[in-house]
Amino acid sequence: MAEHLLTVDGLAKRFRRGDSTVAAAEAISFHIDAAETLALAGPSGSGKSTVARLLLRLIEPDAGSVTFEGENWLALEGAPLRTHRAKMQMVFQDPLAAFNPRATVARVLDDPLRIHRIAPRAERPRRIAGLLERVGLSTDLAGRAVHEVSGGQRQRVAIARAIATKPSLIVLDEAVSALDVSVRGKILELLADLQRTDGIAYLFISHDLGLVRVFAHRVAILDGGRLAEQGDARAVIDAPQSAVGKALVAATPKLHGFTGQDAS
Amino acid sequence: MSAAPQVPLVALRGLTVAYGDDALALSAIDLDIRAGERLALIGESGSGKSTLALAVAGLLPASAKSAGTIVWGGAPPLGGRDIGFVFQNPAGSLDPVMAVGRQVAEVARTHLGLSWTDALARARDLFGRVGLPDPDTLVHAYPHQLSGGQKQRVTIAAAIAARPKLLIADEATSALDTIVQAEIVALIRRLVAEDGMTLLFVSHDIALAAELADRIAVLRNGKLLELGSTRQVIGRPQDPYTQSLVVAHISLDSPPLFAATTDIPVNG
Repeated sequence: MAEHLLTVDGLAKRFRRGDSTVAAAEAISFHIDAAETLALAGPSGSGKSTVARLLLRLIEPDAGSVTFEGENWLALEGAPLRTHRAKMQMVFQDPLAAFNPRATVARVLDDPLRIHRIAPRAERPRRIAGLLERVGLSTDLAGRAVHEVSGGQRQRVAIARAIATKPSLIVLDEAVSALDVSVRGKILELLADLQRTDGIAYLFISHDLGLVRVFAHRVAILDGGRLAEQGDARAVIDAPQSAVGKALVAATPKLHGFTGQDAS
Repeated sequence: MSAAPQVPLVALRGLTVAYGDDALALSAIDLDIRAGERLALIGESGSGKSTLALAVAGLLPASAKSAGTIVWGGAPPLGGRDIGFVFQNPAGSLDPVMAVGRQVAEVARTHLGLSWTDALARARDLFGRVGLPDPDTLVHAYPHQLSGGQKQRVTIAAAIAARPKLLIADEATSALDTIVQAEIVALIRRLVAEDGMTLLFVSHDIALAAELADRIAVLRNGKLLELGSTRQVIGRPQDPYTQSLVVAHISLDSPPLFAATTDIPVNG
């Protein structure tokens, strides 16, 4: 059996609330292959972000195992963890919250190249220019402060930073949710293009099933910390089996009936 | 469609707003908000849709410079009484250290002249109307004890507590997940119908606006580009920008982005 890029098995995490505990994640199992996009969908509090934080080792699980690039991911500590972290990157909804707001674009991109010893100092400006070009930004932007550039440009900088360490997996946590629709489409196209050229896999966290359906190969729908269903993204969304899947589809705003295509 | 005369609740003429020395936030807007209609303002970041909503509510910051006129059909409105406003972030609209029932009662007390006892009873009724569970208990809760959707229901209860003529919802569901968003939109639709309110619904989401509004106004860079019935604006958009918004909308039947991706490497 070929090994998956990422295999999550029986992941569980409980949080204390008052004198009881709440299961934020329970018996979560899925896998992602190279160059594949798996979406995690579900309502607020369904466990999407908990799963992301567990994978990124920002919090530790109570049970379960994670195998990433053949390594026992949860057992890695210290220097080996830091080395392997370069391979799993993240992009959040609000890049400004993820950056030092006073940093320049160049500084934001210099950090991963320096910290992960990807390029010596003399070579880094050329690398930074290459990263900016790769994400469709002018190299003139390098000297600008991150808070000065537009929301769409900032999210491109976040993507450039994520790919600086040549990751095999990027966790996209509502990464396009706050963007204007005209910008959002272009960012999704950029991400799809990076997947095509560099074989990057994505864990695409979103509550928007329309986005999930166009961007993800497969989807796992969470509800109350548990997996409600998973499968081919279009098959699941076109005919959801779980109650939460049906509710999400029904709640998604639709333009049908107004666009005139149904006029007889 | 009824043939009733279209009385504007409020008429904007040449409304222009600038913040500091920046480009105009709104530029010579002419717009009637008709009594009893559900009007959506849609546009992207910087379009001026929130500025327009704030201007109608008389909530522009003191530093904003404005020109043009805002003429009301009847008596000039009193903010908070005649205009209810629901913002995107309910936590920012609520006092974190005051029980939520008291915050709603305060509106009824101030604008309807009720005693605290009567105002609190009205708050309990309103909590029931906005679909909050167990109103008798929940009026004593503090904002941090409520979910995001529950907090937004409380701010809606406060917004309608003084029986306003106009309800303004500015991205009121944008911070909520899809399921809660649909519930809140259904709630707003029901309350507007039951109380005969006029609704100004500000949203970046063209599909959400289309589901709720009778008419849609499209703004971009402070200018009103297009105004018409929902069917007309979505079905036969006249302005190229409106057309691009309709095309850019990703719906449950949009073609996948990776269609070309999967075929090439797998077969190659």
